[in-house]
Amino acid sequence: MAAGTQILAPVAGEHRVGRTYLWVRFVAAAPLVALVLLLPLHSDVYGHVSAYAAIFVMVGLSMNVLTGYTGQISLGHQAFVGLGALTAANVVSTGVRPADGFSFAIGMVCAAAASGAAALLLGAVALRIRGLYLALVTLVFGSVFADAVFTLPSLNGQDAGVPAYRPSFMATEYRFYLFALAMALICAYVDVCVRRTKVGRGLVALRDNELVASAFGVNVLGYKLLGFTISGAMAGLAGGVFAFWEQAFSDKDFTAIAGFNLALTFVVVAVVGGLGNRGGVIAASVFFALVSPLSPFLEWFARQTHWATYYGNNKFYISNVIGAVLLLQTVILNPGGLGQVIRPFARWFGGHKFNLHDSDGGGVGTMEGSSVRA
Amino acid sequence: MHDALLAGSQFSGQINFLSPLINGIANGAAYGLLGLGLVLLYKSNRIFNFAQGEFATVGAIVTYVFYAGTGVLPKLPFFLAAVLGLLGSVGIALLTERLVIRPMFNRAKVILVVGTVGVALLLIGVEGLLPYPKTQSLPTISDVLKVQPFIGRIDNVPVLDQDIAKLAMLVVLAVGAFVFFRYTHTGTAILAVSQDATAARVVGISVERISLISWGIAGLLGGVAGILLAVPPTGSVTPGAFTGTTLTVSFAAAVLGGMTSLPGAFVGGLSLGLIEAFASADAEFVPGLNHVHSGQAELAVFLVLLLVLLVRPRGLLGQEA
Repeated sequence: MAAGTQILAPVAGEHRVGRTYLWVRFVAAAPLVALVLLLPLHSDVYGHVSAYAAIFVMVGLSMNVLTGYTGQISLGHQAFVGLGALTAANVVSTGVRPADGFSFAIGMVCAAAASGAAALLLGAVALRIRGLYLALVTLVFGSVFADAVFTLPSLNGQDAGVPAYRPSFMATEYRFYLFALAMALICAYVDVCVRRTKVGRGLVALRDNELVASAFGVNVLGYKLLGFTISGAMAGLAGGVFAFWEQAFSDKDFTAIAGFNLALTFVVVAVVGGLGNRGGVIAASVFFALVSPLSPFLEWFARQTHWATYYGNNKFYISNVIGAVLLLQTVILNPGGLGQVIRPFARWFGGHKFNLHDSDGGGVGTMEGSSVRA
Repeated sequence: MHDALLAGSQFSGQINFLSPLINGIANGAAYGLLGLGLVLLYKSNRIFNFAQGEFATVGAIVTYVFYAGTGVLPKLPFFLAAVLGLLGSVGIALLTERLVIRPMFNRAKVILVVGTVGVALLLIGVEGLLPYPKTQSLPTISDVLKVQPFIGRIDNVPVLDQDIAKLAMLVVLAVGAFVFFRYTHTGTAILAVSQDATAARVVGISVERISLISWGIAGLLGGVAGILLAVPPTGSVTPGAFTGTTLTVSFAAAVLGGMTSLPGAFVGGLSLGLIEAFASADAEFVPGLNHVHSGQAELAVFLVLLLVLLVRPRGLLGQEA
């Protein structure tokens, strides 16, 4: 045997467990998958809430790409979601009822494209602005865009809103949920791709140190714009699904104080989930979808304890308080967010050893809050 | 009480520059009042305080519940209630500093800003859950003084006493805060800390105390703004009353004036109020623009903000950062 072709023994330390143990993971994952697929089957209400959670996951992933990987913060994301909803509802609502599948698909594509284009335009102007001022610009952009465009009478269908009829093959809530879940999976796949490819490494390098990254040949403005556009398109797609979830587009969901609350909720999701941590953001999205004022989950909970009337009168404020308390406790005490808590489990499912004190936690994928430069 | 008096003057049919001018100054005074607190905290801590609108709301609500004697609370004369309201605002601001800002002193500024966003959300939620009449508003200055409401008229355009009071208070506070930073030890100490906290500590300034003081002053400014703004015809003590649109425009106003300049908050507030008023004025004299759309004013605000940040980031009166 020639000395040059000697096969080295595997390096000891962190490595994926052998294939023989993978079935344990599959068995452990089965209840989780069953929960995701079967629980929404329970009733129309469950299906409705689950679809809403899937939409929130899409927005959460959109924030994850922007804030987590690119390190830019957006306080105006409701504008992109709303633009997607507006576009999809207007494209598909041609009077055909139920909508035919083809125009429905076109509507979804248009929703993503419109929001992506809007994000690209905003980024082209706003990314020249640095520091905290960018956060301010996105905040003002969000409220201005919503109030100026969504209130145009020719676009928002006046008081009645723009009707968004679902195609016949997703007439039931469960079928619509499966569609929303598929869209969320697409977003998750895009998120994975962004993170794993050259683009993702470029973005993370930019986030960590712009000067060093540009010295290594990373196109600073181009990559930032790309991050902005991908995030906007994902938010637009989420908006498109949202319009059909609600079966109408109403500007009141995105303007004034409702829009402001929505935009801040998205930031809360990204921060509480853990910046740049996909699993954490998904978990946080689901949680905040369940406690959002639109979801009947808390209402059901309140009914069991005779607080139903109180909850009904105060649902917006209760959601606010829950979100704010979690946000504050995350930024002050637990900067890693939910992602850090579930990270050992997520890694275990990914085929790694179970390790509560994750020595690999400081890898490229994780970030401190300090990496966000706004 | 103003409503009836105002009714006669609206829709007089003639186009004038006077009406948007006076409305603009009145709104601008509101933006300036909120902007003062924003500028103060940017000057001292280099952060944007998204909870400033809620400091104002808390002041207005506390004043209201004591003035109206809600629930078990005693019914107090207005000025006593206002003092309690201001104490409430200052207390909330100090709590924010102690519980949210202080533990994150050495973290990235943007995380601090996210923290103030959290404070704003929390305050809106808690205000909403408290039982008090949420659609009421505070008395105007003429109601407080029990005099006939003063409504001056310039060319049939009404000028409200409350707006004059806002403007006067804005001038007093802007000049007062300017003097405070220029001529007092505490004021210069705050500036020193904002420029270099370590160096300030070396020369014997307590950074923690200074931070507490500047947040306290911001709370006081917020409270004053809230008590002056939560009056009829447009203001009320609703939860989050000043956080939605008002705070957003106030930020733009502060940026326009120069984020580091207290007189800038005054100038920026008035300018933005005027820009907004003229942008949304019934512009029949502009050819082709006879349809007024509600988003016009906000669009103007956004364009001004972008223009300032791209062309002159230090604003009208700000110093080079």
